Amino acid sequence: MQSSESDKDIKGLIFNIQKFSIHDGPGIRTTVFMKGCPLKCLWCSNPESQAFSINLIVRDINCRRCGVCVQACPQGAITIDKNSGRKIDWQKCNSCLICVDSCLYHSLNRCGRYVTVPQVLEELIQDKLFYKNSGGGITISGGEPLSQSRFVSALLAECKKQGLHTALETSGHGRWDEMKNVLRFVDLVLFDIKHLDADEHQRMTGVKNHLILDNLRKAASQSRIWLRVPLIAGFNDSAEHLEKIAELGKEIGAQKISLLPYHEGGKSKCEQLGLTYGFAEGKAPDEEDIHRLKRIIEKSGLTASVGN
Amino acid sequence: MQTQSLAPEKLRKQVVSRAIRNIKRGNTDDDSRRGMFRPEIRLDLQRSRLMTESYRETEGQPMVLRRAKALANILNKMGIFIREYERIVGYQTADPNGIFHPIEQNWKSPQRLVNSEAGRTLLDDAGKKELDELCAYWKGKSISDRHQASLPAHLKKYWTYEGTFLWTQLSELGIPNYKKLFKLGLNGLISEIKQKISALDQEIPGDYLEQKNFLEAAVISLQAVIDFAGRYSALAENSAAKEENEKRKKILEEIARTCRRVPANPPGTFIEAVQFFYFIHLVRYLEYSTLGIGVRIDHIFRPYYEKDLAEKRITKEETLGILQLLWIKLNELGLVYSPTVSSVYGGVASLQAVTIGGTDENGKDVTNDLTYLTLEAAKSLKIIEPSIALRLHEGTPDEVYSKAADVIKTGIGYPSLFNDEALIPLFERWGITGRDAEQYAISGCVYIEIPGKNVVRRSVGYFVLPKCLWWALHQGVNPKTGEQHGARTPDPATFKDWRDVLEAYAEQVKFFTNKIEQLERINNELLAEHCPRPFYSAVLDGCIEQGKDCRKWVYDSMVHHFAQVIGGTNVADAITAIKKVVFEDKKVTLTELITIMDENWKGREDIRQACLDAPKFGNDDDYADQIAGEVQVRGEAAMESVKDRFGLSHRGDGSAVSATYGLAIDTPATADGRLDGEPFADSTLAPAPGRDKNGPTAVLKSVSKINTVDTFNHLLNQKILPEFLEDDLKPVFLGYLKTWKELNIPHIQFNVVDKQTLLRAKAEPEKYSDLIVRVAGFSAYFVDLSSGLQDHIIARTEQSLR
Repeated sequence: MQSSESDKDIKGLIFNIQKFSIHDGPGIRTTVFMKGCPLKCLWCSNPESQAFSINLIVRDINCRRCGVCVQACPQGAITIDKNSGRKIDWQKCNSCLICVDSCLYHSLNRCGRYVTVPQVLEELIQDKLFYKNSGGGITISGGEPLSQSRFVSALLAECKKQGLHTALETSGHGRWDEMKNVLRFVDLVLFDIKHLDADEHQRMTGVKNHLILDNLRKAASQSRIWLRVPLIAGFNDSAEHLEKIAELGKEIGAQKISLLPYHEGGKSKCEQLGLTYGFAEGKAPDEEDIHRLKRIIEKSGLTASVGN
Repeated sequence: MQTQSLAPEKLRKQVVSRAIRNIKRGNTDDDSRRGMFRPEIRLDLQRSRLMTESYRETEGQPMVLRRAKALANILNKMGIFIREYERIVGYQTADPNGIFHPIEQNWKSPQRLVNSEAGRTLLDDAGKKELDELCAYWKGKSISDRHQASLPAHLKKYWTYEGTFLWTQLSELGIPNYKKLFKLGLNGLISEIKQKISALDQEIPGDYLEQKNFLEAAVISLQAVIDFAGRYSALAENSAAKEENEKRKKILEEIARTCRRVPANPPGTFIEAVQFFYFIHLVRYLEYSTLGIGVRIDHIFRPYYEKDLAEKRITKEETLGILQLLWIKLNELGLVYSPTVSSVYGGVASLQAVTIGGTDENGKDVTNDLTYLTLEAAKSLKIIEPSIALRLHEGTPDEVYSKAADVIKTGIGYPSLFNDEALIPLFERWGITGRDAEQYAISGCVYIEIPGKNVVRRSVGYFVLPKCLWWALHQGVNPKTGEQHGARTPDPATFKDWRDVLEAYAEQVKFFTNKIEQLERINNELLAEHCPRPFYSAVLDGCIEQGKDCRKWVYDSMVHHFAQVIGGTNVADAITAIKKVVFEDKKVTLTELITIMDENWKGREDIRQACLDAPKFGNDDDYADQIAGEVQVRGEAAMESVKDRFGLSHRGDGSAVSATYGLAIDTPATADGRLDGEPFADSTLAPAPGRDKNGPTAVLKSVSKINTVDTFNHLLNQKILPEFLEDDLKPVFLGYLKTWKELNIPHIQFNVVDKQTLLRAKAEPEKYSDLIVRVAGFSAYFVDLSSGLQDHIIARTEQSLR
């Protein structure tokens, strides 16, 4: 156990604190998004969460083409064209972020900030009354929270001291001893299941799923679990696959399985981060299919929901 | 009895919307080519004609009697009709598409309107000719003429709207004591008055004639209302005799019976109580063109409903049908405004609200079948008026919250929610006694009233608080003309910190409130002398007892004068930005900032961005919220320091209607980063548009830091996505409402529509003619609003779910 003295000083890297989250666990919640993820899911809807460091994110809509950033960039990575607007040469950008401070209009921004446990806690307790009245609480999401397990468990421990309901949203990809440490302060785990086949999993996320499934079974022995399945047409939306997931859900005693249909939310964010969106062919199953898949889960006796 | 000839969808089609369109922003044209009303609406001259006829005949008589006789002349002679689906009767005009204008108050506005493009469809040539003749009689006699002629020279310039306040002549509110009326019937009331007259004849007090004239006028008015109902009874009887459809015949016979019995006698059944109420409401409106309703439906009508139900005369379903018919009737009222005043009433018909919920005289929760049926009637009809004010208190059942959420989900913008535990202490501070305070009702928007206790209460003007701040930064001098128009406050160059700015602002608020009061004081004296209200006085408490018209005295615990304050949040954010940018970060001096704002930030976008980046109200950030709390308290205190002729304080009220958009055009750039003419925050408690970045929970947290008891009577608009009210998220929404209640916030109402729908409705209005949005304390058809006001509503922060 770390001393509380040092817990106060641990820094976590987050990219957002989202109040009034109502799709990340029960009730009204505040979600803390950790930055940095070991997986590279093609459909990633939060690409700003991937890097383990603060990087540049642009909002072209705010740009007034004043040209201050062109002068400010030591790498000469920014140009402004009268017709097509501002361009960033992402190869040249070394994330020094000097341009961010030069921009008056919040068109160039820092993605990510380092925070301490007391700083985050102060924001989390602001909505305590809403949590109480709606059966909500706080959710740690990401990125992958397990990648910053020391900060996350210190934060969760403080939340529990405040009597808050806590949820952890995880890909399950992390060291078990770290996960175990975090789970001591978690009331509900929102556990992502992308694919049950190891090779398919690797093809779409960059890692195999053995560690994940192993962690799931261990976690289930000590925590309440909701399984969350991103539904991607042609990848994991077959009836057989959903039946297997339902079976897994029953085996581990999951309370609910949430189906989260794929959306293109990550695409525009990739452009803002200078990343290539690698999933141009991505599609959600159509409404009817989603409904059918939901029924498969319900038939197995488990609660299913779509979108949350 | 078979209840209803028409289903809600068909009933809805019977509504002829008299909603006014905002054709001006301040003095600037705002899509006036649309016309001030929908093209099917006609200006109906019969009230003006009959009133003028009576006035000509009564020259020289005491005014209170002249007013009573004029009302009687109208009620005795006006054209009446019964529509083929009606069960409740009474109409303001001779034609279902008509609207009247109170010519004795002001004849110039309608004359100008019908001769302008915005009013071209209101009257044909023959009508215009008659209107000219009628106007000729009122020249020099209307209240507006008399008011302008009475103003001393120094006050004249404040009568004309210049951007700081828009003084309005007409708005008058008040709720009759329906409980007493139902108990006595008008015959009973007449007996009471006659006894009082007999006593007077014996006593002969010093004001014998004044009292006697008033009481006789009251009798004339009340008898005229009974006779008016008798005319409907005869008409229904005649129609029934000719009617071949058995079902309809029965209904006509019922109408004949009902109108014979009420309002002369106490109602014995639910339908009689409803018809009684409607006659009183209608005549109150015909006597003096007034706003609001305020009846506590589930409280006042409850005994009649429950008796009918117990005696198996009525079913729940039939009651719902009657409420739906009442809803249609309440949509038949409307008002004509001057083009400038249209800028603050965009989309309004007659700003009516009914009240449900709350507690009875014993402090017991009033919830009953009628509470739910009222909500159901509104949900089934989806029309703009009347708005429902729902009083919530600690004992309100969860089921009421749940049903309210279902109605809010339809997007009609109501029920609008009022928090008893937050508001009653405020009323007590206003001087309303505990027992009275618990009886409060909302007559329109957030107009708080005590039924039966209001003598006269006016919404005296629309007061632009950011313009007061602007005067404070210019020492009350108009920089363009060099004229001293506001108070001579200290030179901003000498200000040491933000509190000096606040002091100067409060001084300007006080200065202009005093101007409003001076205008109002003369107007009130004129109204008391030239426009007594014998009918309305008779249906209030205290007037008969004292033998005094309602304009001549004031009920002990009544709040008298309200000005509708707008832009308070912008003032707060502006002062916060001055604190941060000028006094802390020292990016510019205050004098430099004023020059930059005078130039509308031209060339100094850096400073504007610094002001925009300063903390803003609505984000649960104490830095901004504490200043906002102080600014709001000081603003109200400054207004309260000005007293009316009865010694009562002026107060600020959040019923700003569309003024937050309409009047903002005449306020230059403000230090919150707002551009010259940009709209203000859309309600007194709302964050400025787009400035709340932390979602709806943070907004409520910020709002909860504004002390209800020491500030204005507030209004809070929130725009939410329909998604938030879907079935599986409903418990979450209810949790949010419970938190609103627990945070002790006085009011909240919702616009539930997504941005895409609004954008589509703007582009293709013909496909969205029924789309309703909440503008301020009222709902309006989106397509009736000017393009700019539509944009203002689209731009309100949509509290979205991610």
